[in-house]
Amino acid sequence: MEQAAIQFDRVGKVYSGNPEPALSSVSFEVRSGEFFCIVGPSGCGKSTVLNIIAGLDRATSGTVVAPKNVAMVFQTGALFPWLTVYENVAIGLKVIKTSEKKVAEECLKYIAMAGLADLAGKYPHELSGGQRQRVGLARALAVNPQVLLLDEPFSALDTATTEELHKDLYKIWQQTKKTVVMVSHSIEEAVSLADRIMLMKAGRIEQIFNIALSYPRREQEAAFIRHVQEIRSMFFK
Amino acid sequence: MTQTSKHIHHFHRHMSISYPVSVRQRLYSLVLIPLVVLVLVLVIFRTFGSSLQSHPVQISLGYVLTALVLTFLRLGVAYFLSLVVCVPLAILISHSARAERILLPMFDIIQSVPVLAFFPVIILLFVHYGLYNGAAIFILFLAMLWNLVFSVVGGMRVIPQDVKSAAQIFHISGWQYVSRVLIPAVLPYLVTGSLLAFAQGWNVIIVAEVLHTYIPGGTMAQDLFGVGSLLVNASASGNQQLFIVTIVCMVAFIGLLNFFVWQKLLRYAERFKFE
Repeated sequence: MEQAAIQFDRVGKVYSGNPEPALSSVSFEVRSGEFFCIVGPSGCGKSTVLNIIAGLDRATSGTVVAPKNVAMVFQTGALFPWLTVYENVAIGLKVIKTSEKKVAEECLKYIAMAGLADLAGKYPHELSGGQRQRVGLARALAVNPQVLLLDEPFSALDTATTEELHKDLYKIWQQTKKTVVMVSHSIEEAVSLADRIMLMKAGRIEQIFNIALSYPRREQEAAFIRHVQEIRSMFFK
Repeated sequence: MTQTSKHIHHFHRHMSISYPVSVRQRLYSLVLIPLVVLVLVLVIFRTFGSSLQSHPVQISLGYVLTALVLTFLRLGVAYFLSLVVCVPLAILISHSARAERILLPMFDIIQSVPVLAFFPVIILLFVHYGLYNGAAIFILFLAMLWNLVFSVVGGMRVIPQDVKSAAQIFHISGWQYVSRVLIPAVLPYLVTGSLLAFAQGWNVIIVAEVLHTYIPGGTMAQDLFGVGSLLVNASASGNQQLFIVTIVCMVAFIGLLNFFVWQKLLRYAERFKFE
């Protein structure tokens, strides 16, 4: 059996001033090297799970086992507007005082991997939405995280850019063999990328689905449509 | 309206300043103001020329420029002190809800008190010990501080949560956070606040330099040499030429400062803004 990269055991989360728990007895595992996706309606607790894994939030009850070395790609990109693409990607490495040579090597490698080789000297305001998300991805990969967290990274992008980024993200995942946890509001996006999909509702796990489809996945395929319909029926139940 | 929303409104009022962006517009701002002043001066001379007395003492441009430099130095020192006090205060307010609850309403009250109300304190503390420059700088400091504090606190509040989370995830904390995230993020607001602070400083320069008016039994010897006192004393002694030359020099200097420093800084700070 593959080693678990993340373990949640009966995890609960209550925010002060809100009587409704954000998470109630949530238990699941993410296997090492797996592409794990969390879907669910707004306010179901999917971002809370991601924030707890990232260490941005603490569980009120239960046990969480997650590596400290994680990195996140944010919905808004969360880039530093005063830094160039290269400097944004380098910031995580510079803070941990890696040598200049190593910083340059790692950054250029991931900048190229994210398809940004010609844009290293540009500032975020000079980039398109898709390019900014690529910078966020390169910045996250540059610190060589054990787990890569993606918080609805493509939700603000147009369909063509999203599809292009799906392909590149899949390629990068194949190359780096990272454990990936992605939160998405799109069931189609989850089915096109994930090994397993966790559907959440009102702070609880509704069901975890195995997606045993080979890559590249096509939305027109019968098996793909079946998976989407199965999750959707539970989503709206 | 709640106290917090009042403050946010206050910040927006401070932040919504527009400024010339193109070179042409900036040239206009540099040329237009001194031009208007010059035209006014000429109109005054043509209309009231015969009734204007000419002062027996020759006006030296160097004399006026020295006064301008001394005034600017006082403003510079007051600005530096305001900055030194403002940054820790702003960091404290932004990072502690309790400090914010206590300090912000307090600052709001203090900043609404006219600078002149602090004169008894200033006279007691500084003038009593012969620290005339200290008194002037303290007045300027009080006039400048609040523009900086409210601007910087406003700037800290607009840092997106995602950016703060990114900093936390990439272990950017402590001094690294201050230097790599906080200072660059508030820079546009700091520049706007500084511009407003200097404008406020120029406004109170006469009050700050003409100290004898407020000292019981004071004499003009207690005034500080600078454009503020030069304007008041030129006017009091009927030296209109000196008065006009001082005004023109001051407006030209402020115009040049605006063109070569503030406009450039505002342009530079644009790329530090979050979208």
